[in-house]
Amino acid sequence: MRTEGKLGKLVSFFSPALLLILWEVLARTGLVDIRLFSCPSRIMKTFGPVLLSGELLYHSWISVRRIILGFVAGAVPGVILGLSMGLFPLVRAALEPMVAATFPIPKLAIMPLILLVFGLGESSKVFTIAIGVFYLVLINTMAGVLSIDKIYLDVAKNYGASRWNFYRTVALPGALPMIFAGFKLGMGTALLLIVAAELSAARAGVGYWIWRAYDMFDIERMFVALITMSVLGYLLSYLLDFIEQRVIPWKAPHA
Amino acid sequence: MSASRDAILVKNISKTFPSRQGAPVAALEDINLTVKEGEFLCIVGPSGCGKSTLLRILAGLEEPTSGEVVVTVKEEGKPVNSMVFQEQSLLPWYTVKDNVSYGLAMRGVPKPERERIADHYLKMTDLSRFAHAYPYQLSGGMKQRVSVARAFANDPAILLLDEPFGSLDEQTRVLLQQELLKIWEGSNKTAIFITHSIDEALGLGDRVLVMTARPGKVKAILDIDLPRPRDLTVIRSQPRFLDLFHLIWFSLREEVVKARTEELR
Ligand SMILES: Nc1ncnc2c1ncn2[C@@H]1O[C@H](COP(=O)(O)OP(=O)(O)OP(=O)(O)O)[C@@H](O)[C@H]1O
Ligand SMILES: [Mg+2]
Repeated sequence: MRTEGKLGKLVSFFSPALLLILWEVLARTGLVDIRLFSCPSRIMKTFGPVLLSGELLYHSWISVRRIILGFVAGAVPGVILGLSMGLFPLVRAALEPMVAATFPIPKLAIMPLILLVFGLGESSKVFTIAIGVFYLVLINTMAGVLSIDKIYLDVAKNYGASRWNFYRTVALPGALPMIFAGFKLGMGTALLLIVAAELSAARAGVGYWIWRAYDMFDIERMFVALITMSVLGYLLSYLLDFIEQRVIPWKAPHA
Repeated sequence: MSASRDAILVKNISKTFPSRQGAPVAALEDINLTVKEGEFLCIVGPSGCGKSTLLRILAGLEEPTSGEVVVTVKEEGKPVNSMVFQEQSLLPWYTVKDNVSYGLAMRGVPKPERERIADHYLKMTDLSRFAHAYPYQLSGGMKQRVSVARAFANDPAILLLDEPFGSLDEQTRVLLQQELLKIWEGSNKTAIFITHSIDEALGLGDRVLVMTARPGKVKAILDIDLPRPRDLTVIRSQPRFLDLFHLIWFSLREEVVKARTEELR
């Protein structure tokens, strides 16, 4: 088992490295069009100045702030409504048709509407992300409450839990793993939406940066922005994992 | 038996479960039973005959289809009943200690008191070292002991135990049986105990209720007139024990055979 794990880590480390080397070799030998696909060494050369000038950090910070604000703005009502819909059949009956009808609308399709309502400022971007996160968190939270094993309801009842204590000691902790699954899906959507949101009427942000590089046909800068996006995505989901491990210490860690 | 007031009256209880595919399942049929305060009643019967269903009805977790249950015991400031569930029922998000003190916490017992009681029962079930572990870190038998400790710690007037020692090794089982007897003898608690082991039923019970194959009815109720306090290791060699054992064995055998033929049809 241990050696397998080590070997796995080694393979995971070297397979991307191998791909990068292959890319570089193909570019140098002219098999890949450098004007369109650039190559690792050129991208690295652009990376330095962009980092030192603060350009990269500036755009990253703008995007991260929008993502976090949007995430919180979507996740908090998502959890609250999801819990209510899971716990109270009447609330569920009242809201489920609306959720079912509006959830399938692609969030990108309502961006023009969001721009009209919220204008070109920060709030339109934050709201776009919030709405994407909201649905995923809502649906997962509700499913989390509904999927709590019936035996725990029996335990709460038999051991005299009041209504409030039932919410606190069974419903919420029982739904937490699914709530976090919703958070993670929501974060994935947030990363998708931020680029789209920053395409229209933004003056900063990694998404804006990508589109700027496109306008100027600056392929290297575009790749730097893409890499930044992927690193940001990785860090944000790592942050969620980190929080999850602290909030849900009872989950068996999977190897 | 210390007192002779009635603790639980079971009147003409039947329970039928609706089922999505085909005929409804009749689990219990016309059960009548009186359990005295302070009595230790054991229930045996073939698998699927409705033992757990009966216990869940007594606990108020399930409504009978017809008939009624009247629980007449009441002790000031104590819960009426606490159940040791047959299946895994520990709250996965709480540590072993918090699981054991769950009932106490729900009743608003102050923390230091809770800790003291939980520690006592953890020690008794030999789980002190695992007080801060989560259920996923325990073996099946350990989980079962936590679940027993949780019911004991709650100090109810009626203990409802659904095969509580089923998956324990022989030594641990005898030890916990002895602890259960100690707790029961030193109190006025009523205990209803489901088991598949005739040995266990005879070692613990004042009476043994034998249930028929499904739909579960009362087939026989036997008085276990073995002297108390009982030493569970010695009692097995007494002639009276062997007589009772055979009586229950043949009574039960008939029902198990019936249940099997029913299944094969
Ligand atoms: N919630 C339920 N819905 C439908 N059928 C049920 C339900 N609970 C129990 N039953 C059925 O009722 C019958 C009795 O079940 P019960 O669990 O009471 O048996 P048991 O005597 O405890 O069996 P075992 O000794 O195997 O634990 C079974 O046939 C079972 O399939
Ligand atoms: Mg059962």
